[in-house]
Amino acid sequence: MTDPASIDQPGATPPPTADWHAPPARAVRLHAGFLAAIFALCAIGAVAGPLAAADGLGGGLRIGLGGLALVLGGGFGAWLGRRLRHQRWKLDAEGLWLRQGRLWWRETRVPASRVQHVDLKHGPLERRFRLATLVVHTAAVHLSGITVRGLDEADAEALRDALARQLDDAGDAL
Amino acid sequence: MDPRIDDPGTLPRDGREHRLHPLSWLFVLVAQLKQFIVPLVVLLFAGRGDRNDLWGLLAMGALVVASLAQYLTYRYQLGRDAITIRSGWLHRSRREIPFARIHNVSLQQSLLHRLAGVAEVRLESAGGIKPEAQMRVLRMDQALALEALVRRRGQAAGSEVAADAAPAAPLLTLSTPELVRLGLISNRGMLVVAAAFGVLAQAGDDVFRVVVERWGKLAFGWLTRTIGAHAHDSPLAIGLATATLLVAALVAVRLLSVALAILQYHGFALREDDGRLLVERGLLARSRSSARRRRIQAWSLREGVLHRWFDRRSLRVDTASGQRGREAGVHALKDIAPIATPARCDALLAHFLPGMGWDTLDWQPLHRGAWWRIALPGLVVVLLATGLLALRFGAWGALGLLAVPLQLWRARRIADACGWACNGRLVAWRSGWLSKAWNLAEIGKLQAVRLSQSPLDRRLGMASLLLDTAGATPFGPPLHLRHLPREAAEALSARLVTQLAGRRLQW
Repeated sequence: MTDPASIDQPGATPPPTADWHAPPARAVRLHAGFLAAIFALCAIGAVAGPLAAADGLGGGLRIGLGGLALVLGGGFGAWLGRRLRHQRWKLDAEGLWLRQGRLWWRETRVPASRVQHVDLKHGPLERRFRLATLVVHTAAVHLSGITVRGLDEADAEALRDALARQLDDAGDAL
Repeated sequence: MDPRIDDPGTLPRDGREHRLHPLSWLFVLVAQLKQFIVPLVVLLFAGRGDRNDLWGLLAMGALVVASLAQYLTYRYQLGRDAITIRSGWLHRSRREIPFARIHNVSLQQSLLHRLAGVAEVRLESAGGIKPEAQMRVLRMDQALALEALVRRRGQAAGSEVAADAAPAAPLLTLSTPELVRLGLISNRGMLVVAAAFGVLAQAGDDVFRVVVERWGKLAFGWLTRTIGAHAHDSPLAIGLATATLLVAALVAVRLLSVALAILQYHGFALREDDGRLLVERGLLARSRSSARRRRIQAWSLREGVLHRWFDRRSLRVDTASGQRGREAGVHALKDIAPIATPARCDALLAHFLPGMGWDTLDWQPLHRGAWWRIALPGLVVVLLATGLLALRFGAWGALGLLAVPLQLWRARRIADACGWACNGRLVAWRSGWLSKAWNLAEIGKLQAVRLSQSPLDRRLGMASLLLDTAGATPFGPPLHLRHLPREAAEALSARLVTQLAGRRLQW
């Protein structure tokens, strides 16, 4: 959560090879900013009612408490969003690798022959920053939609095409 | 339900469209009544005027018309490799279902269906919430013929095996003593009782107190006479009444469970025919469902404490069809051996997974520190509770610490009981100490793999591996290999993915 150098501490996740792709810095910023805004709004919404109803609070105190909720909510959202910088993905002959998180680390692998279909999503904000989100669908129950966030647009299209090509090569799965 | 009546001759195969059984509208009406029962009852009984009765009648009339319309507009046509279903009047739909895509055929018969000699047929394909087609209703012999047709035409390779051979002897049947055991073990009655309690709790404020007092007066009338006129208010009488009531309730619940087990599983038969598994069961309402062997995604074998007392286990399977359906539990092929001896379960697994080496699996232990990791959440709770007790009762609260060795011992037993195995064809996970479970799947049926580590796992050098299959119940992943040594988990993940990448998915 502090400096990026601590990501690759010994004993933690193996260092990403040249093939591993990290999300671009603007994707991390966008994700963190977006979540910060959402959480700040939620925090303000949650405290606005009680603050307005509470008796015996000065105007300054109310604004201060509201500001505190805003900062705490925004900070939490930004921290959640900044976790995107730990995401790494890679595509090799066997399929897609996706690593997420640092403290709660997880590595999801989808064999190329098990991909059902691929969705490429561009939200309005993502389009503005030339970013995209790729969802890889499988027939599994718990890992049915594997989401790769914050992809560069060109990377995302290349990844989609590569997965689709592998899908074609694997033949008719049904 | 004699499976021998599967002569396709009873099905109209002239390439033209056909309607369902003429009594279909009645069963559609019954099904709709079940859905609209609450509003209808409100309409009929809420007001006392004639006008309200009229509205109720109108609603009934509308439902009858809707059922008739559904009967008149629903047509099916049997082609060479597909069944075509046309339905609807204003909103028309035409659906073509290739036989090869049908994963599961289920036939349902309630008592009413049995009286009329008809059955409801559901054709299910992979995934989805609703069945591909719900034919409500077909004549019984036609339903069986359709099932046989799907079975024969569904063979993708078109291998015309001798399909008319006499049906094989059942692989498993359940006698009445077995059903009694099943009822005692499964405790199905508890669900009914829980629902009844819910209703009672809604009904009035003091139902339970009134019940206890009535019971006290009834059962301890002699006590009242011997002790005094007001003995039914004494703590002794109330305590005795509560205790006996509890015992009576427990016995009643178990008896109810046995009755339910007999109702649901009477005449249970598991058969294998042309590579399809077929399960029939039910005393009053009969159900019959079948799925192809290779469409089974995962297997799970369970042994609870009660199972162990009776020396029994149960075997379930996951199929990919209708996995998220509300009624999936009712109709899909699930319990292929609701109760059987361990040897019988092993024999069934060996039969259905030939050459997979289920009985010769080399079980690997968990990480050496796994027991510590398993004990941890419980330890935190124990310590917190002890702290609270110490605050409330002083030094006596420290007695709560006695739970610590107990918790450690329990975790140790659990860690010893768990294990995983992979022999290149099967991957299996066994878990539980008091209540044991074995989950297994063919490697080809795995869909995706996730390796995960919490901070504590990383410190201890362990990892968990989730192997996801299609058709698993959304509640609790069956193949979640927890607390493995990290190297073993990584090696297994790499090995499985390499093996999967080269093999196309066989539904």
